[in-house]
Amino acid sequence: MTGVLANSITYALIGLEPRRVEVEAHLQSAIPSFAIVGLADRACQEAKERVRSGIASAELEWPRRRITVNLAPAELRKIGSGFDLPIALAILGASGQIPRERVIEHAAFGELALDGRIRPVGGVLAVAEGARAEGLERIVCAAESTPEAELASVEVVPVSHLAEAVAYFRGERDPPPYGGRNGLPPEPVLPDLADVLGQERARRALELAAAGGHNMLFAGPPGTGKTMLGRRLPSVLPPLSREEAIEVTRIHSVAGVLHPQQPLVSAAPFRAPHHSASVAAIVGGGPGPRPGEASLAHHGVLLLDELPEFARSALEALRQPLEDGTISIARAGGRALFPARFQLVGTMNLCPCGGRGDPAAECSCSPQRLGAFRDKLSRALIDRFDLVVTVPRPRAHELEVERGEASAEVLPRVLAARDRLAHAPPVRTDAADELLSRAVERVPLSARGRARVARVAATAAALARSERVEVEQVAEALAYRTPREIAS
Amino acid sequence: MTELALAAFAAEADAHLVSRPRTRRFALFAAGFDEAGYVRELERRGLRFLARSDAQFPPLLRAIHDPPAGLFMRGGADAELLSRPAVAIVGARACSAYGAGVARLLGRELASAGLVVVSGLARGVDGEAHRGALEAGRPESTVAVLGCGIDRIYPAAHARLGGEIAENGLVVSEYAPGVQPAPWRFPARNRIVGGLAAATIVVEARDGSGALITADFALEEGREVLSVPGEITSALAAGSNALLRLGATPLTRTEDVLELFGLEAAEPDAPELSTAARSVLERVRDEPRGADAIGRVTGLGAGEMAAALAELELAGLVAESAGVYRGVRPAG
Repeated sequence: MTGVLANSITYALIGLEPRRVEVEAHLQSAIPSFAIVGLADRACQEAKERVRSGIASAELEWPRRRITVNLAPAELRKIGSGFDLPIALAILGASGQIPRERVIEHAAFGELALDGRIRPVGGVLAVAEGARAEGLERIVCAAESTPEAELASVEVVPVSHLAEAVAYFRGERDPPPYGGRNGLPPEPVLPDLADVLGQERARRALELAAAGGHNMLFAGPPGTGKTMLGRRLPSVLPPLSREEAIEVTRIHSVAGVLHPQQPLVSAAPFRAPHHSASVAAIVGGGPGPRPGEASLAHHGVLLLDELPEFARSALEALRQPLEDGTISIARAGGRALFPARFQLVGTMNLCPCGGRGDPAAECSCSPQRLGAFRDKLSRALIDRFDLVVTVPRPRAHELEVERGEASAEVLPRVLAARDRLAHAPPVRTDAADELLSRAVERVPLSARGRARVARVAATAAALARSERVEVEQVAEALAYRTPREIAS
Repeated sequence: MTELALAAFAAEADAHLVSRPRTRRFALFAAGFDEAGYVRELERRGLRFLARSDAQFPPLLRAIHDPPAGLFMRGGADAELLSRPAVAIVGARACSAYGAGVARLLGRELASAGLVVVSGLARGVDGEAHRGALEAGRPESTVAVLGCGIDRIYPAAHARLGGEIAENGLVVSEYAPGVQPAPWRFPARNRIVGGLAAATIVVEARDGSGALITADFALEEGREVLSVPGEITSALAAGSNALLRLGATPLTRTEDVLELFGLEAAEPDAPELSTAARSVLERVRDEPRGADAIGRVTGLGAGEMAAALAELELAGLVAESAGVYRGVRPAG
């Protein structure tokens, strides 16, 4: 006897890109055994134990035969636990417990618990999009993944237990529709600009950054609120468009950081990795490869607190995404391309000891130490910051100031300015051009520095609802150029 | 031209020599020294040597008690530049924002008035004085004296500044190519800085600072010494204030220097300022402040404030350091 064969279909992810994987189960009358072949990684090999227990727990029959599961194409590396469900379905199909021909009309993706429950796995949106692109109209996945999978416009069969999947394939009953968890999704609470006392210049720069999408750097002694300011940028950014939201959701899903009650990321994401983060953690990597913080911040804000403390290699790796908005990671199994168009916000002290710019402390750094501190930040990276704000330590009497505007008051201005920059960008007047040329000589500015000043001036004009960039706006933009403490 | 042999020998022996040593080693070296070849090699590298015996050697420097055997020179200017009326500006490497602002202002205004600004290309005050002189926009306005071989720039961070000085003036050193910077060479360098100038200005100096060595040297040679008053509570100004106590001329305006040379201040360009900039300037002159603090006393919005401050910076009236803005022109 040659045995019986059944298939199921799922998708492996290379980065964000789904690749079709056929799961073949072959049963032979021989000494009972169970083998998975086809470049399965450790988590995927362990599927054996989960699938065996899951099938038993669902009160189904574990075939007492020789079972071989092949994940094809065999040369594609299979990573993770999402293959549990398709493996179980293929085995059940081969042993005649569910109709095989129905199984291959579906994509399947999910992890099995030992008691037969189906657990959600990251990357469902990308898998569902893969199914959709190949004309498969239904995906069987964990009930909790329903809202996410539905974003790909496929029909979702939400199963919370293997027994439900079996009943569905046998045509006995459809699984209950997913009703969501109890309660409403949590309203995201963003830190608000109303919390900031004084700091008029930094607030103004933040508004410019939000309106023009500029990268910005806060420099100053410790305790002047640099991080606090940086964290408030997302609160004045516009919400994501539908396409942006789906792009961001796909990345967050693959990385497994999607909030279960918030299937669609609709607000600009905010990521603030610690300065001990590795290159792979920042730009992505690993065998998967998985997206890094830079990709998780796609269409949002990447805050790098204490910029010079980051590994230089990690900072240099950010230059590619800052340039073209993507990160490409080459692996033996193929090349993964992650989008990473983020707004970079950095904070730093003016010197290693933190005493510079602080009237209450004296800087004790040697010139050599200062030099080494500056050398950590390459000019190429510093040049990406359109706005640099030096935040001095306010004196005691200067702290008695009123609260500034709340983010909700700033946001409409940002939206209007973005609209103007997109549709009718302001043009520099002759006088403004003349000032810019004079500044190039006098300050002095590099060619890139000049372009940065011009961009920021255009944003300032858009915020002023002006059709022209006037002298005042160029002058203002000049005030946010890179100070000498950081540049040289 | 045995001075060149002497300078080349000093480099090889890693010693500081101003006169021929009566040693066998030197005699052997001098006998085998290919002077024409050495000069050709210097020319190939864009360098020149001005011997002490040369008629163009600056008389003020020749007058000191241990003038160098000669000066290696880099740059396009004629050696005659070294004999023009010159001021030395010296001070702390780790200077304050105030010291940096004053050094730059003095460099600019003295160069504008026609003086040559001499300094040591060090970090801090030295570098700012050179930058100010270059900003004045007059050709051949500044001379940098190195404490290492003429073929290198120390500190490396000033490589570009050194290049600009060579283009617009001269970089000089008594040390032949190949001599490494060493701490003991800097006091010797300072004697040349002071020796080239008729007056030495100390901008900011701690107790025991190298700038005070230059000042002591200038006093010994009977040159004029001026010192910029600093805050009496600041350790950075302890040395320069002590000079005042000892009788150095206090420098409170550029004219204090110019009068020594019988010069008039260059016509101060009175830039047209916006109303906002004028009111900001008034506040900044009272006391150095951050942009937000000035905004609170003038009532200007953050955007207008940034524009006004940038305008004042471009006009050279205000300088920023660590987010704090200060007036840079003498108030008196």
